[in-house]
Amino acid sequence: MKISDQEIGNLLALKRHEGPPESYMEDFLREFHQRRREEAVRGSRVSVLWQRFTDWLSEPGLAKWAYGAGVAYAAVLAIVISMPRGQEVESIVPEAVDHRVVAPVENVAPTQLDELDLRPSSEGKIGEQEF
Amino acid sequence: MIRWTALLLTGAAGRVALGSFTPVPPKMPDDTPRPDPDEDLVTRAQEGDTRAFDALILKYGEKLYGLIYNMTSNKEDTHDLLQDVFARAYHSLPKFKGKSTFYTWIYQIAVNMTLNFLKKRKRRTGLSLNEMDSSVHQDPALVDTGRDADPERQANVHELQKRLNEAMQSLSESHRTVVTLFDVQGLPHAEIAKILKVSVGTVRSRLHYAHQHLQTYLQDFWEQRF
Repeated sequence: MKISDQEIGNLLALKRHEGPPESYMEDFLREFHQRRREEAVRGSRVSVLWQRFTDWLSEPGLAKWAYGAGVAYAAVLAIVISMPRGQEVESIVPEAVDHRVVAPVENVAPTQLDELDLRPSSEGKIGEQEF
Repeated sequence: MIRWTALLLTGAAGRVALGSFTPVPPKMPDDTPRPDPDEDLVTRAQEGDTRAFDALILKYGEKLYGLIYNMTSNKEDTHDLLQDVFARAYHSLPKFKGKSTFYTWIYQIAVNMTLNFLKKRKRRTGLSLNEMDSSVHQDPALVDTGRDADPERQANVHELQKRLNEAMQSLSESHRTVVTLFDVQGLPHAEIAKILKVSVGTVRSRLHYAHQHLQTYLQDFWEQRF
């Protein structure tokens, strides 16, 4: 036998009578006031602001998410803009090194002094010396 | 079927028989707008009269307890959430402008907070059906308080209660919310639509789907017993 929609409704309606134990609400109220007193003692401005913020978050609606997204976007934009620019970053790639090979020069000592060129190194008008 | 009907009829006169029970429409706000019956209490509470707020707690506490309990299936969670719901209402009361009735407003707070809690709980650890408790006072139509209480009947009643809770927990949060508000709490479609801020059509659609799901879930148990 298939359970009907009406019977489902009737079964669920039976749960209407479920409730907290007797005197629960009196104890609940006492605890509620106790918590409010403790809260008042603590009651810093920060906690109130936080409470309001969480209240605001818990409320349904798309507008608040639009505001939130806007604020987050602005914050990210501010961080990006405030980042220092123009600093060159050193390349981590080493520059190519030119390893030049120098051929050894033969060490030929002059055998005669005549062979030596003892003239001034610069000839011409400029730098010419007369003795 | 006869056995179960008899089972439910064996209690005191006036108990609800499963087979012949017609849900009595609860005294809830209808679709036509009317003055908030709590306007005076709300105004006084907004002016700082704590007794007025106490009266609102006493007026709606049990209904909200039932709502939260049927959505969480956990007594401790229900208690903590109910404290938080009234605390939030207390802090937010200055912002309450009376655009809806206090009744709708406090239900909105309770439903939103409970749905948020369920999301967190699901992330933290999925509630096993075995963790559910059913320690709230049960339906007088189901609980036999007589001295000649039949142990077999009590066992069957307990099983039915358990199955119902399991069936409820097998629903998604949004579907469970609608079933709780409509079938358990007895709110009309229009009021549920206001609380959930969805269309009446959405409420009806969710209810239809949820009932189908519950039918499938309870079918085996139903066939065994009837």
